[in-house]
Amino acid sequence: MDFSMTSKFSENPKCWLINIEGEVDIFNSAEMKTKLIELIEENPVDIRIECKNLSYIDSTGLGALIAVLKKTKEYEKSIYFQNLKPGLSKLFKITNLDKVFVIEGDLDE
Amino acid sequence: MNNNEQIKLTLPINAAYVSAARLTASSVANRLNFDIEEIEDIKVAVSEACAYIIRKNAFNTNNDFKIEFDLSADKIKISLSVESAERFEVDDEEMSLLVIKAVTDSFNVNCQNGIFNMTIEKKHVQTSFN
Repeated sequence: MDFSMTSKFSENPKCWLINIEGEVDIFNSAEMKTKLIELIEENPVDIRIECKNLSYIDSTGLGALIAVLKKTKEYEKSIYFQNLKPGLSKLFKITNLDKVFVIEGDLDE
Repeated sequence: MNNNEQIKLTLPINAAYVSAARLTASSVANRLNFDIEEIEDIKVAVSEACAYIIRKNAFNTNNDFKIEFDLSADKIKISLSVESAERFEVDDEEMSLLVIKAVTDSFNVNCQNGIFNMTIEKKHVQTSFN
């Protein structure tokens, strides 16, 4: 499944609403990172990523998200993940990134 | 299952083809009747191993790398290999390798005679195989 990402600015609460679909891996993780960093630089608010249609993310994708988180932390903002599938939730736990990012509403809950 | 079966895949050192390796891994694991979580683990391990090899061979993009899936009734063994003129250091703390170790039963890396090799094994309890 191909990767796609859409973004929308929310005024209330102020945040970027991101929808990621498909698979994020070594092929497209840099593209995802660049787009997210551009959004933060355009308007430094929290990032909320909807993951219900995210079918896969690998360690390069997670590494890209860590780079984006560092940028958001420069503005004292956070990244929230919503509706991670169980397999992806497991990856966040294996890498301890569930303690770094805010994970909301796992699909296995 | 009477005889072991083997599937061989040769891919360019190009990130665009990692998804093809994942798809093959899922299909092969499904044939062995692994459950959904085990199939996901195998897919993750293969994808991380491919990404590791591609990152370490960024200077070597004219080359190919090979993936062999050895299927037996109780386990799948996956070997990834690439000819590598340079012997690169393996960092056990790298996220790719941590993930592979966490989702598989056995994981080994070695580099001999100019061939870098990663071997992954995943066992399962069911033995039915058509």
